[in-house]
Amino acid sequence: MISQTDNLLRYRPWRGTPRGPLFASLAMARVSMRLMLRRRLLWGLFGLALLIFFFFFYAQYLVVWITNQLSTETVRFAGVPVTVSNLTKFLDRLALNGTTHTFGNFIWFQGYVLVIVLALAGSVLVGNDFFHGSLPFYLSKPIGRWHYILGKCLAIGAFINLLVTLPAIVLWIEAGLLYDWQTYYLDNLNLLLGVFGYALVLTVTLSLLVVATAVWVRRTVPLVMVWMGLFVFLRMLGGWLVDGLKYDERWRLIDLWNSLYLCGLWCLQADPETIRPQPQPQYWQAWLVVIGVCVACVLYLRRRIHAVEIVS
Amino acid sequence: MPANEIGSPPQPGTLLELHALTRTFGTFTALHDITLTLPPGRIGLLGPNGAGKSTLLKILMGLISPSSGHGRVLDLNLGGDRDSEGNWRLRRLIGFMPEADALVPGLTGVEYVSLAGELYGMPRREAQRRAHEVLSYLELEEARYRRVEEYSAGMKQRAKLAQALVHDPPVLLLDEPTSGLDPAGRDAMLRLIEALGRDHGKSVILSTHLLADVEAVCERVVIMAGGRVRGQGTVSELCARRQDRYRIRVQGEHAGFRDDLLSEGVHLIADEGQGEWRVAVPRNWTNVAFFKLAAVNNVVIRALVPDDETLEELFLRTVGN
Repeated sequence: MISQTDNLLRYRPWRGTPRGPLFASLAMARVSMRLMLRRRLLWGLFGLALLIFFFFFYAQYLVVWITNQLSTETVRFAGVPVTVSNLTKFLDRLALNGTTHTFGNFIWFQGYVLVIVLALAGSVLVGNDFFHGSLPFYLSKPIGRWHYILGKCLAIGAFINLLVTLPAIVLWIEAGLLYDWQTYYLDNLNLLLGVFGYALVLTVTLSLLVVATAVWVRRTVPLVMVWMGLFVFLRMLGGWLVDGLKYDERWRLIDLWNSLYLCGLWCLQADPETIRPQPQPQYWQAWLVVIGVCVACVLYLRRRIHAVEIVS
Repeated sequence: MPANEIGSPPQPGTLLELHALTRTFGTFTALHDITLTLPPGRIGLLGPNGAGKSTLLKILMGLISPSSGHGRVLDLNLGGDRDSEGNWRLRRLIGFMPEADALVPGLTGVEYVSLAGELYGMPRREAQRRAHEVLSYLELEEARYRRVEEYSAGMKQRAKLAQALVHDPPVLLLDEPTSGLDPAGRDAMLRLIEALGRDHGKSVILSTHLLADVEAVCERVVIMAGGRVRGQGTVSELCARRQDRYRIRVQGEHAGFRDDLLSEGVHLIADEGQGEWRVAVPRNWTNVAFFKLAAVNNVVIRALVPDDETLEELFLRTVGN
């Protein structure tokens, strides 16, 4: 034990002006992101997300190159002759031409990685606070419970935008450079706004859903199972009911990722008839589902965090 | 204290004043009609499990509001919504060390304490600087870059104390601070708490069921049971309050003397061997009776002194009632 004299020498009083609780939310978000970035497994998933981005980035370039540069009918691809029309047919399905569906498809595919990242993030960012009793640490400070939720949602939102919005913006810039940039950027400004809108829908819905499910199940494995249920099982079930059993297309609304996709395409102003697979529910029905999920999450968090604070 | 400042202890005349404070959860009443005035200092909040200590601490921090009654802590009114500006202001003046682990796994010690500082409203750089200072003060200097989940039990408790101390609050609420510590760690923690109160002017409210912790650190004690305050005052006052206890030492064949004392209604609290006892005498007992019985039994009374209660006896008697 250090001597009393040392204690007196080493302890310093402190006085200062406190900042508002929103700064506390920012601090929580920053620390939560740091915790996420320390997980090696997540770096693997970030790498996968980067690969998907690179695929779209170079494929978009490839389509323009094929269209403009190739005069022959066939090219040799890994030693195998492939007709140019077959090659572009495959790439055309991904709509790699800087249009609405380019961004819709990119975010759709990026969503697979995103969902896994968020399933793992939930227990790190929120579940541990309940499991390790950290909640009293946060709630005993001069912040409200909504600042706590905001801090966690900000961290999750940052990852969503890092994986989705930022690369989508790069794709939009690339498309402008590949085509006629003087007209593309002005004519397709609505696409950029649509990307922001899609990202906002994803950020709000998924961050609330991550926090709510992590508060509910807390541990990583059950959390991954819940997310598998939400985004894999319900997706398969919805597809089977509509495509297999020819049920009403509204059964597809149980697939939350599809509902988010529809909301995103609404932001991107896509023609509903061009959405695959068909038939799809109406945009407003998808919006109702997404808003309903958000409200349910908020109500659950309000009730749950209050209850924990009382008993902890 | 100005509304826009935190840190450094003010010296109010009263730490807290509670008037007829009651808190119910549904049909269960956790706190009954608590009326209490406490000056600044080191205060022990003693009580068995379910006494209402944690509920009282939460009310003092503005985390929950009383169902009825009113109170003030450091001249700030209690009550209202937990997320109100008034309660945030109150919590800026208080450093809380919870009983639960309350650590954030994955963070290093300095990150954990620095985060606490930012949550209290400190600017980032100030919080970091202060985290280093406080961890050094609490002897976690060497371990500050290790992750908190790797800490030993004693280090975890000190890290929790550090996060409560980071913004230099005038009041510390410590919930079972020695829980899970070995004797050496417990002594070290108690010395730290005492030094914070004595040398740095902190008011400390120590909630515990360990009587020895309160005896070692606190000047005053509040005993709670069943949601009510059963007794309060300085430790010496409370323990000296009973006048019916004596410590007696006799020389000679004392078996008969002891039997006579018992037959006269004297209660033997403890036989400490070799003719030395601690006794409680009945109402209307006069000390002359000791000497009369000694003469009858042919023993010599070598010592007869008033005997104070120990805190443990006081606690058991108070809570038992």
